[in-house]
Formats: sequence, structure tokens, C-alpha cells
Amino acid sequence: MNEDLLNILSNSNKDIDNQKLMDYLSDKLSAEEKHEFEKALVDSELENDAVEGLTEFKNKKDPLLFAEQLNRNLQKQLQKKKASKDKRKIGDLSFLYITIIILILLILIAFFVEWHYLH
Amino acid sequence: MQSEKYKHITDAELLQNFYNDHDNKWLGILLPRYTLLLLGVCMKYLKNEEDARDCVQQIFLKVINELQKYKVDYFKSWIYMIAKNHCLMKLRDQKKLPVELNEAVIPAEDPLEKGEVLEKDKLIQKLKQAMDQLNPEQQKCVNLFYLGKKSYAEVAEITGYTMLQVKSHLQNGKRNLKLIMEK
Repeated sequence: MNEDLLNILSNSNKDIDNQKLMDYLSDKLSAEEKHEFEKALVDSELENDAVEGLTEFKNKKDPLLFAEQLNRNLQKQLQKKKASKDKRKIGDLSFLYITIIILILLILIAFFVEWHYLH
Repeated sequence: MQSEKYKHITDAELLQNFYNDHDNKWLGILLPRYTLLLLGVCMKYLKNEEDARDCVQQIFLKVINELQKYKVDYFKSWIYMIAKNHCLMKLRDQKKLPVELNEAVIPAEDPLEKGEVLEKDKLIQKLKQAMDQLNPEQQKCVNLFYLGKKSYAEVAEITGYTMLQVKSHLQNGKRNLKLIMEK
């Protein structure tokens, strides 16, 4: 009883995984698991709001499907950003290479012109 | 699956890896951990499935851009603040809400860690007195939930409150207890 009292003050730092969240929403957790889950909810505004929102979906399975779709789009978005960053890097490098080649050519031309005048 | 493979890496570590090499790969592991939660948060505020999905996508874009600019310490609290503010802005644009944006949320300090110097018995005694200072609704809910180990639904059934009221009494009750204990 006293330990339970002290538990009120402790913050639950447990991260709730998606499967547990869906199991809670589908009422698949045991009484004990449910209580632990709800204890974590009291301490986390994010998860608390999320549970409230997820219960408002008309079809219970939709949130998972939507989340999968959003994750696929996210990966595409991240890859696109990475590709454009790489492209920019290659662009920067090619500018450097072209400058070096032009400088070498100018030095060679200057050398040959001078050599031509001397002989 | 990718998420399973990196399950042992914490959010903070993933974020640190991202700051070290700026490889989007790390965000590709970190952000999907929050997709479902963000979807729920957006749905709570926007009350529309399509809007909620669009909103999550916009939040991701915002998060990716913001993380390039500055360092974030408490990712979970930070992303929640970004999501909530984004939803509130959207509601304001739709003229459904006056502006009321939250400041950064910093995780609450655990009074148990802080009060380690207090002897346990004294702490329990003080806690019992603090419980008496809660309003009757909060007292009832806190007792049933934490001491009686009842679920939200059971507390609601016993007290006659709605689930939302139960959640609110529990959150406020716990917050008030901490405030009283810190006095």
C-alpha cells in the first residue's frame, strides 16, 4: 500500500510501442498490462492525446495502414533530400575540377608561349 | 524489419548520430517511431482523418528542416510541441480556434529523485496529507487508479465520471500532489 502511494509520484519513462498502443485500443491487453499502460498515459501528454485521437478513427485498423503509408512517403522524402544533397556535393566538386583543369591549361599555354619566344 | 533492427538505439542516440554525420538515414529510423502517435495527436485536434494524415506529413517536413538548424535535447517533448502547435495553427487558419501556442515542454522532474534525502516514512506521511488536500473528485480517481489498480474504464464506471473526466482528474490530481509535496 505504501509502495503504491510512492508510485503515484514517480514518472513512468516507459516508451509505449505502437503494437501495445494498438492492442490497448483493440482492448487486447490483460488487466495488469492495461493498468501499466494507463499509468504511462497519465505521465505523457503525447501518448494521452494520441490515444484520444486514435479512438476517433472510424475504422480501427486505419491508423496502422495510414501510418505505414506515411512512413513510406517519409522514406521517399528523406531519400530525395539525400539525393539532392549528394548532387549538390558532386556539383561543387565538378566546379573545383574544372577550375583546376583550366588553371593547368593556362600554365601550359603560358609555358609554350614563352618557350616559343625563347627559341 | 528496419525498425526492429534499430530498436535498441534510443531516440537521443539516433539524434546524436544524425548531428554527427547529417545522414538522413537516422531520421528515417527515428521519425517512424512517432508516426502513429502524431497521427493520433493530429486527429484529436483536427477531427478529420484526411487532414490528420496531411498534417503528419507537414510535421515531418518541418521536423526534418528544423533539426538541420538547431540541436534538440528532448526529442519526444519537442516533437509533441511541434505537432500540437502545428494543429493549433491549422485550426486558427480555419478560424476554429483563437491562438494559444504552447511553450517548449520540458519533462517534469521526478520528485522521488529529488526527495531521496527525505526519509521514506516521512515522505509517505507527507503524501497522505497531500492526498487529503486534493479535491474529492481527484482524490477518488487517484485512489481507485493508483491504489486500487483500476483501469480508466473501471474508475469511470465506479465514479460515474466520463473517461475524459477520469483522465483529467488523474492528471490534475497527480500534478497537484507533486506541487503540494514540493512546498
